[in-house]
Amino acid sequence: MRITPLTELTQAARLLPPLAMVVTQLALTFWLWHALYHGVRVSAGLDVTQATTYALLGVLYLQFRTVDRWSNGDTMVQLMMDGTIAFWFLRPVSPRRYYLIRAAGDLAYGGALALLAYAVCLGIGAMASPPSWPAFGAALLTLALGLVITYYLQLIVDLMCFWSTVNDAAVTAMSFASGLLAGAFAPIWFFPSWFQRVNEFLPFQSTLNIPLSLYVGRLPVSDLGVQVAVQVSWCAALALLTWWLWRRAAARVTVLGG
Amino acid sequence: MPSAAGVVVAENLSKVFYTRAGAHTNGGGFRTAIRALVSPERVAKSAVDGVTLRVEPGELLALLGPNGAGKSTTIKLLCGILTPTSGRVEVNGVIPHQDRIANARKIGAVFGQRTQLWRDLPARRSLEVLRDIYGLSAADYQARIKEFDEILELREFWDTRARQLSLGQRVRCDLAAALLHDPPVVFLDEPTIGMDVVVKEQVREFLRDQVNRRGRTVLLTTHDMTEVARLAERVALIDHGRIMYDGATGGLRDLAGVTWQVHVTVETVPAVIDVPGMRVTGALGEFLTFVPSDGSELTPRQAVRQLIEHLPVTDIRVEEPDLEDVMRAVFASGGARAAAE
Repeated sequence: MRITPLTELTQAARLLPPLAMVVTQLALTFWLWHALYHGVRVSAGLDVTQATTYALLGVLYLQFRTVDRWSNGDTMVQLMMDGTIAFWFLRPVSPRRYYLIRAAGDLAYGGALALLAYAVCLGIGAMASPPSWPAFGAALLTLALGLVITYYLQLIVDLMCFWSTVNDAAVTAMSFASGLLAGAFAPIWFFPSWFQRVNEFLPFQSTLNIPLSLYVGRLPVSDLGVQVAVQVSWCAALALLTWWLWRRAAARVTVLGG
Repeated sequence: MPSAAGVVVAENLSKVFYTRAGAHTNGGGFRTAIRALVSPERVAKSAVDGVTLRVEPGELLALLGPNGAGKSTTIKLLCGILTPTSGRVEVNGVIPHQDRIANARKIGAVFGQRTQLWRDLPARRSLEVLRDIYGLSAADYQARIKEFDEILELREFWDTRARQLSLGQRVRCDLAAALLHDPPVVFLDEPTIGMDVVVKEQVREFLRDQVNRRGRTVLLTTHDMTEVARLAERVALIDHGRIMYDGATGGLRDLAGVTWQVHVTVETVPAVIDVPGMRVTGALGEFLTFVPSDGSELTPRQAVRQLIEHLPVTDIRVEEPDLEDVMRAVFASGGARAAAE
């Protein structure tokens, strides 16, 4: 779990550009949504505070959900390309477990930064607290389940490397889908109703839209049971799929080069 | 019955890779490219073809062969990274690809061309992560690091990030990483590739120590014949995925048909040179070169005696061809393939 934090903290200079980017993005998002709501009290069921809070939390999710491992040469596609994926099969920890532990480490590091940014935003009044403690608890629970779904979706994209070696197209598609369909680019409530209906059949909105909607009070806490059931179903289905994919991947692993 | 710790067994081991033939392999053209996309043709390539070998505990076997011969694939099959297409493999009594976790605790592996260190972490941190992955106690870890450091001199550079290490430093750290958990069997795939002679010698000394003193079983692939000559008493020759020779390192010379020769300086060159069991292959003034004649069973010692008895010798020197010459001769003559068939 400590590999990502150690890697990042031994190169603290690398932390500054992303931090500057996040601060800029948060500020622009705040101003954008206040400008959009000029003269408008409620839109798509959200007032300006709810919409801004949702959007700002979306920015934090996008920035800190995963840690950029590309510059460390530590993404699945890079490990496949240079053949070091071989070592995943030479250690007394299964590749599945190693991947999970590394993802937990990434989340712990990214989550700590996100929490810090959240506290600052809350402290300066840029975003609002949840309407009630139950809403906060519901948001936390659904966020945790959403992160599990995100983990499985990312894992599927990474496991594709065992079949195609490169997964650039899938990474781009996943990045776009998890931003747009999850609600990280803009609250899902602003999209056309047909889009929202289609989106209900996809796992992405469960990752972010549900916890954020509960957090800002756009969804009542009474909806929690249904939402959790949907999330748990997605978790189970994706867990089963990735379990099967890991089995297939482990049997067909090849190592490029000599 | 499962084999004992330190034993490596491969029986009729084969690995076939299937690749999709792209448009470029089918002659090109837009139509061909579309066909390759819609209905790709699968091409089978046999990388390892019926390899059978056994390495005993405490033995060092060098697996030799030209590029693409199947050395690395064989190692990866024995390590359990790859799943064989057919055949049986057992290492330390474990079928590596079926029980990778148990296998991992009993083997170590170094691939000279790639590292298992995390490239943005100081090497020492990577070793500490591996310590935790293998569940080593602090005392065991310290003792092994101290032992490795005595020969590999790790402390000089282990606070450097892996990406900033020189090749020699990196491979020394990789060796330590591979042996940290004290495995009885070690696989080394071209561990000294690209190293300078000083570091190569340091690595060889380390390997000798690990085999002789610690009794580890080592399977080594290399292109460096000096390494083979200094480390391995037994070699296996592989070409086109098949074992062509498995025996004593010295036996390769017989296979190649390359043998010893004797350089002689004489006072005066006789009109007729007739030395029983020997024939002249070179003459330059008083300097003559002899090799055993066909069918001769003379040993170098007997040859020297014969030459002194029959010629006015002032200087004599027996020269054996080095292993590199032997390997070149084996693959050039196709002798290995003929021997296998």
